[in-house]
Amino acid sequence: MELAWYALLGLFFAVYLVLGGYDYGVGLLLARGGGPDRRRAALTAVGPFFLGNEVWLVAAAGILFGAFPTLEGELLSGFYPVVAAALAGVVAVAVGVQLRSRPADGRARAAWDRVVVAGSLLAALGWGGLLAGLLQGVPLTAAGHVAGLGHVVTPFVAAAGIAMVALVTVHGATFLTLRLPAADAAPLARTARRLVAVALAAVALATVAGGLSDRVRAAAQRPLFAVLLPFVLFAALLVARAALARRRPGVAFAATSAALALPVALVGAALWPHVLVSTVDPAASLSVAGAAASGPTLALLGWLTVPLLPALLGFQAMCWWVFRGRTDGRAPVYW
Amino acid sequence: MDPLLLARLQFATTTSLHFLFVAVTLGLVTLLVGLQTAWVLTGNPAYERLTRFWGQLYVINYALGIATGIVMEFQFGLNWSGLSRYVGNVFGAPLAIETLVAFFLESTFLGMWIFGWHRLRRGVHLALLWGVALTAYASAFWVMVANSWLQHPVGYEVRDGVAHLTDFGALLTNPTLGMAFGHVVAAALLTGGMLMAAVSAWHLIRHTADFTLFRTSLRIGLVTAALAVSLVVGFGFAQFGPVGQVQPTKFGGGADQGALVAEWTARFGPGDYAPPVLADVGLGFMIMIGMLLGCVWLLLPLLWRDWIIRLRVPLWITLLALPLPFAAVLLGWIAREVGRQPWVVYGLLPTGQAVSPVGPGVMLASLIGFTLLLGALAVANGMLFARYAARGAADPALGRPPAPAPEPARPMSVLA
Ligand code: HEM
Repeated sequence: MELAWYALLGLFFAVYLVLGGYDYGVGLLLARGGGPDRRRAALTAVGPFFLGNEVWLVAAAGILFGAFPTLEGELLSGFYPVVAAALAGVVAVAVGVQLRSRPADGRARAAWDRVVVAGSLLAALGWGGLLAGLLQGVPLTAAGHVAGLGHVVTPFVAAAGIAMVALVTVHGATFLTLRLPAADAAPLARTARRLVAVALAAVALATVAGGLSDRVRAAAQRPLFAVLLPFVLFAALLVARAALARRRPGVAFAATSAALALPVALVGAALWPHVLVSTVDPAASLSVAGAAASGPTLALLGWLTVPLLPALLGFQAMCWWVFRGRTDGRAPVYW
Repeated sequence: MDPLLLARLQFATTTSLHFLFVAVTLGLVTLLVGLQTAWVLTGNPAYERLTRFWGQLYVINYALGIATGIVMEFQFGLNWSGLSRYVGNVFGAPLAIETLVAFFLESTFLGMWIFGWHRLRRGVHLALLWGVALTAYASAFWVMVANSWLQHPVGYEVRDGVAHLTDFGALLTNPTLGMAFGHVVAAALLTGGMLMAAVSAWHLIRHTADFTLFRTSLRIGLVTAALAVSLVVGFGFAQFGPVGQVQPTKFGGGADQGALVAEWTARFGPGDYAPPVLADVGLGFMIMIGMLLGCVWLLLPLLWRDWIIRLRVPLWITLLALPLPFAAVLLGWIAREVGRQPWVVYGLLPTGQAVSPVGPGVMLASLIGFTLLLGALAVANGMLFARYAARGAADPALGRPPAPAPEPARPMSVLA
C-alpha cells in the first residue's frame, strides 16, 4: 500500500518535471534574445498546456501531504532554502507567463519575460538541488527532526541544480523543435544540439561531485541505482542529440523527457526502503513505510482518488490532443 | 525574533492575499457560467461579448489565485511541520483530495477553455467552463473541510501522540462546516457581483462605449449581489449557534467557556486561552459591513426604467462600495482564524507546537521574501485588472478569432 502511494508520488513529481520542465526550459530560452516575435512564438507554443503542467506539482504536494504527512513536514522544512527558492521560481513563472501579454507596451512585456527567466532558473535550481539533497542524506535526529540547514550547502547540491538547469533548457529547446512551425524549428534543433553538449558537461560535473561526496556514498542504500543515474542521463542526452540530428524531434523529446523523469525514479530506488537517510544516526532514518499516513487514511485516499486517476489523465490527454501538432498562424494566442 | 510569530505573520499575509483573489475567482466563475450558458442557448452575441470581457478579467485574477495557493500549500510543510507530524493523518486527507480531484481538473479545464474558443465545439467549450466552476466549488469545499477540522477536530483518535483517522464521515458533517461553507460561497458571490456592478458603474458614469453591455452587467451584478448578501447574512447568523457550541472561547462568555478553560488548564497547564480581541473586532466590523451591503436591495427598484443610471448617484455608491466586500472577507477570516487561537487545532494542538523547528533568520527571510514577491505580483495583477476593466469590451484578447489563414508574412505580430 505504501509502495503504491510512493510510486504515485514519484509519478506525479516526475511528470511535473517533464511537463513543468519544458515550461522552464522555454522560459529560460526567452533570454536568448531575438526580439519580441520570437518570444511570442515560444509562449504560444507552450500556451494551451501551461496551466495543465504545473498542476502536477500541486497534486504531487497534495499526495505528499495526504499520504506522507511526516515526510512532508521534514522534507520541506528540512530543505527550507532549496524548497523556498524552487517555490518562488514556480510562482514567478506561473504569474509571469499568465500576465506577460496583458500589458500592450513592449518594455513591460520584456520585463515580465525577465521575471519568467529568473523564475525558471530558480525553479530548476531548486528542484535539482532537492533531488541531490535527498541523495546525500540529511542530519535527521532521533527526535525525528532535521537539525539545521547547513547540510544543503554542498558542491553536489549546487552542481545538481546547475545540471537541472541545463537539462530543462535542452528539454525546452527540444519541445520548441517539436512544436514551432517547421521553418523555425530547424535553427532551434541546432541550438538544442549545442545545448546537449552543455548538459552533458553539467551532468558529468554533478556526477563527479556526487561521487566524491562521502555522504552520497554512505546514504545510497542501493548504490547500483545511484550509479545508474548518470548513465541513464548520458544515454538519454545522446539519444536526443542523435534524434535532433536526424530531424526526429518526437524521439528527441521522448529522450529529454526520460532524462527529466528517470532521476526521480532512480533517487527513490537508490534510497529505498528509506526516503530520508540520516547522516547522523542510522537508526533515525525515515523509511517509506514510516513516513506514510496510517492505514485508514491511505485507504480513504485510495477509494476517493484512484478511481479518478483515469479522468485526470484523460482530460490532460484531451488537452494534448486538441492542441497537438505544430503551431501556425492560426494557433490560439493568449499568453 | 520569535519564529512562531514570524510563521504566523507569514500565514496571515499569504492567506489574506489568497482569499482576496479566490473570492473573486469563485464569484466571477459563477457569473461567467451564467453568461456563457445564455450565449450558447440564445446565440445572442451580446452574451458572447460579456463572456469574453468578464472572462478575461476572471483569467487575469486567476493567476494570483494559483500563485498564492501554491505558496499556501507548501507553507504547511515549510513553516508548520508539526501540523503534518501530529495531525497530518487526518488534516492532510482533505487537502490531498482537494488538489487531486478539484484543483488539478480546474486548471486543466481552464487551460483548454482559454485556448479552445475557436477550436472546440460550443457545447464542449461551455462544458469546460462548467467543469472549471464545479471543480472550483469542490476546491472551496475541501479546503473548508480541512479548515473546519482545525476549528473542531472530529473523527480521529490519538495513539502515541499522533492523530489517526477513524471516521471520515464526521469530517463532512462537522458542525463548523456546513454554514461556514454556505457563508463563504455566498461571500464570494457577493464579491463577484459587487465587482461586476462596480466596474459597470464606472463605465456608465464615464459614458464609455458599450452602454448596453455595461447596463446588462450592472443589472446582473446588482441582482447577484442582493441575492448573495441575503445568503451571506443568513448563513452568517446561522453560524453563531454551532460555532459557539463547539468553540465556547470564540465569541466569549457562558459557563461552557469557564469549564473548558479549566479542563485545558488541567491538561495543558495554565495559560491564556482567550483569543486576541482582534477576532472580535473582525467579527463586529464584518457584520457592520454585511448590514451596510444589505442596502443593495434598495438599489434594485431603481433598475426600473434605468433610474439607477439616470440618477448617477446610485452608480457612484455602487462604485465606492467596492472595497467593502473585500474588507469583509478579510475581517471574517480574521474572526474565524484568530478566534481559534491559541490553538492550531482547537483544543488539541497549541499553535506553538506546530511550528517547524527552523531558525528565526530563515523564517524572517522567508516572510520578507514571499511577502515582497507575492505583494509585488498582487499589486501588478491588480493594476492590470483595473486597466483591463477600464479598457472596456472592445476586442479582448480572450476568444479573439485567429488571424485569417493566408497571411504568411509574420502572422504572429497581428495577434501580439
Ligand atoms: C450580518 C452579516 C454577517 C454575519 C452575521 C456574519 C457572521 C459570521 C460569523 C459568525 C463568522 C465566524 C465563523 C467562525 O468563527 O467559525 C463569519 C466568518 C466569515 N465571514 Fe461573515 N458574517 C456576516 C457578513 C459577512 C460578509 C458581508 C462577508 C464578506 C463578503 C463575510 C465573510 C466572512 C468570511 C470570509 C468568514 C470566514 C469563513 C467562515 O467562517 O465562514 N461575512 N461570519
